[in-house]
Amino acid sequence: MDLKDIFFKVIISLFALFYFFYALVISKQVKTMDKTLQDKYNWLILLITSLQVTVSLILLIVLILSIFII
Amino acid sequence: MENNNKKSSVFYSYNLNPQINFETHGEGEKIILLLRSHPFTQIGWILSSIFFLVLLFVLNFFPQSFFNLGQILIINLFFIVFILSYIWLNILSWYFNVGIVTNKRVIDIDLHAVIYKEISDAQLGKIEDITIKSGGYLQSLFDYGSIFIQTAGAAVNIEFNNVPHPTDAVQVINNLLGKKHGS
Repeated sequence: MDLKDIFFKVIISLFALFYFFYALVISKQVKTMDKTLQDKYNWLILLITSLQVTVSLILLIVLILSIFII
Repeated sequence: MENNNKKSSVFYSYNLNPQINFETHGEGEKIILLLRSHPFTQIGWILSSIFFLVLLFVLNFFPQSFFNLGQILIINLFFIVFILSYIWLNILSWYFNVGIVTNKRVIDIDLHAVIYKEISDAQLGKIEDITIKSGGYLQSLFDYGSIFIQTAGAAVNIEFNNVPHPTDAVQVINNLLGKKHGS
């Protein structure tokens, strides 16, 4: 693995980390808004937001693992 | 007010007697109208999202010598995730930016960039003036505009931006004001 590959993986992992924190902030805010306005589609909004956090976490784990495995 | 029922829900942005609840909902307070921005006003971010998705697709046809196949896949994955997040952020912004009219007050709930929340309300008795701003071809064609509600004294003014059927919404508020003042 050359220097370019290591650099790429570190940069992309940092992006994944920031994205994970961003997804957490969005999730927290959506929960707050769910209390502020209770509408009939809130369950769908909460479901998609949870999905976003899950995807961001999977992305982060896969990319961090790829640094050590590949 | 009753003749407005046929116009309920322009893609869930104009709702008469909606089945909702909100944080500061008082006892005996009946929700009459829920307003969101007209779906047509969301066309900007919808088109830019489609443009970015097409751009990503087209860029994959150009040979990349700097990155290997695995890296190109990861970059694609990231761009798709970011575009989907951008779409989601805009949907949340649209969904949680609402104007509510109850039998006691008007409430404006704003969510800016999903991290900043602002709730302002005005009692019906304090409303002094209601202005509708609707102009241009698109606003006339799709029947949407902004409603500005001016209140007495130091009370905050309320704005419902780009809502569908602004005239009907103001008629609903005026009917409530009439009942409130007993005229």
